[in-house]
Amino acid sequence: MTQNTNQKKNYDFEFFGKGSEYFAIMIVNWLLTLVTLGLYYPWARAKRLRYVYGQTALNNERFHFAGTGKEMFRGFIKIILFYIAVMISYMVLLKVVKLPLLAILFLYLAFFAIIPFAIHGSFRYRMSRTSYRGIRFGYRGNRNEIVKKFFKWVFFTIITLGIYSAWLQMNIRKYTHQNIRYGDVEFSNNANGGDWLLLNLKGYFLTIITLGIYSFWWQSEIFAYYIDNMRMTKGEQRIKCSSTATGGGFFELLIVNFLITAFTLGFGKAWADMRTQKFIFDNVKMEGDINIDEIHQTEDEYTNAFGDDAMDFFEIDLA
Amino acid sequence: MKNTIDAKYYDGQSSAPLKAIVVLNDRTNEFHLQIVGEISFVWLLKDLQFEQYGHILEVRNTNYSDAILKIDDKYFSEKFYTAMKQSNSIDIHTRLLNLGLSKITAIAVCLLGLIVLAYFYVLPPIAEKTAALLPESFDNEIGNLFMDSFLRENNIDTTKTKYLEQFAAELDLKNRNPLRFTVVKSKEVNAFALPNGQIVVFSAILENMESFEELVALLGHEASHVNYRHSIKMLCKNLAGYMTVSLIFSDVNGVMALLADNAQRLHSLSYSRSFEQEADEQGLEILMNNKVDPNGMVKLFEQLEKESNIYIPKIISSHPLTKERKDNMHKIISESVYEIKSNDKLNSIFEYIKN
Repeated sequence: MTQNTNQKKNYDFEFFGKGSEYFAIMIVNWLLTLVTLGLYYPWARAKRLRYVYGQTALNNERFHFAGTGKEMFRGFIKIILFYIAVMISYMVLLKVVKLPLLAILFLYLAFFAIIPFAIHGSFRYRMSRTSYRGIRFGYRGNRNEIVKKFFKWVFFTIITLGIYSAWLQMNIRKYTHQNIRYGDVEFSNNANGGDWLLLNLKGYFLTIITLGIYSFWWQSEIFAYYIDNMRMTKGEQRIKCSSTATGGGFFELLIVNFLITAFTLGFGKAWADMRTQKFIFDNVKMEGDINIDEIHQTEDEYTNAFGDDAMDFFEIDLA
Repeated sequence: MKNTIDAKYYDGQSSAPLKAIVVLNDRTNEFHLQIVGEISFVWLLKDLQFEQYGHILEVRNTNYSDAILKIDDKYFSEKFYTAMKQSNSIDIHTRLLNLGLSKITAIAVCLLGLIVLAYFYVLPPIAEKTAALLPESFDNEIGNLFMDSFLRENNIDTTKTKYLEQFAAELDLKNRNPLRFTVVKSKEVNAFALPNGQIVVFSAILENMESFEELVALLGHEASHVNYRHSIKMLCKNLAGYMTVSLIFSDVNGVMALLADNAQRLHSLSYSRSFEQEADEQGLEILMNNKVDPNGMVKLFEQLEKESNIYIPKIISSHPLTKERKDNMHKIISESVYEIKSNDKLNSIFEYIKN
């Protein structure tokens, strides 16, 4: 039934989120979190994510986040248990075994070691719970593989006194992205550490020379680097992504966001967040010939939110 | 009643949209779906979840979570919402959201107001009650913990410590539990009391004193902080306060950090005004009971005040109402009957401490 595959298709991203609606959600979240003494937090997070996903549309069909508060609550409990277990072991090492150095080393290692697990778990959960037109996204990365690679890259970063961190970041990005699926569409990413390092060195020095003004253009180059390296393929069909954001665009976005937030004592953050999302989706262009009417369900469901909650709990942020 | 409508259906197998005809039966709480050219089936309202985007309604069935029914009709959308509400299938979050932004904001502001009131009027007595429930072993534990880390960064003046112990042994400080005294070498004009009965006096504050009465006043004041468990009470108050604040900001992780933070800063813990007043008054009573001139307390304040021109001592800066405190002392002294005995022993030990 496959039709002509070489025909260019139209892909049109839109973000419909409104500051006032998002603000209302935040307030209700706050109210319910407060009266439940914080227990509602995972449900609040699910509501927030569901709104943001639901307001994002491609060709007039909306994305959907199917994650629930219950799943995230389970993940949250696991994090707390992990945290308590680590703290108890730390206290035992410190007070009973009386090896303070080992205790501190253990503490750092434990919290550090959770990062690759959190990244893996977060991708699996988020992707599995994201869908579009009833077709799920999925993440097929292998946990042991990314854990091994992560520590290898961290080791390189340490022995190169941090220089390798550019590769560390881009390698994680590449690995995770190339394991994303949307039904039978495969994702890939061409980022590499060398380009990333140069881009940031250039951005850093030009920002200093121009007393900060260049930072907006630096930001737009970072954004473009993220977007331009994304590809999707389905058999012979492809999609290439590119950024249309400019330094001027970022300048306007960030300055206005700053003013909105500052002059409303932070309450305007809901509006600023929606402006940012809109800016992002207005500036992602996709070109190619994948027919989005012909995608098939291939990915399994995965409802363990441990990794995603860990990312949230330890405030790990992957752009 | 016509509840029939054209809709779009995604079957969760393919991304291709299908045409469907939907009939909502609000008496049996059912949805009849007829996929054009294909099968027809029934969805029960109790199994459904939905999102509303303006007029657009996206309905999902929890039993087949991938399938989506998409309906674009204002009338139908409202009808559906009412039916869902009647079958109690709408969660609290969505119900609140549907009150509209202004009502939600009003509720939030009221609640915030209540919390602020509770923070000032309900929390302090509760915190104090909690402190009363804590065993004294807790006071010792936390005091020892702090003292250990404090001594790692500060040096004890052993000679002066010995004299200070002798000095204190001559006094009745009304303590129920043993007190310990330590002088540390420091240019900071400061003194503090820990809940385990440890009183730490910085050498600089001693150098500024002119008479032994001032030292008795200082010890009386600090001993009263211990006797009335002020630091534990403040700790409970601060903790409860911070917990309220982190609750307001939904910051669950903050509470953890806070516990550690408070134990670290035990010596710069600023007491509330009423606690300072209590320590002043009880300290004054200690002076009188020991037949020492109560004006020593006033002199101590003046000494500290003078010092603050050059170096702002913590003991003053944390309580800026020195004048008020002095007036209070004067008032009590003038209303009291007391006896003063010259005390050569205290005086001579004081001279040793000074030199």
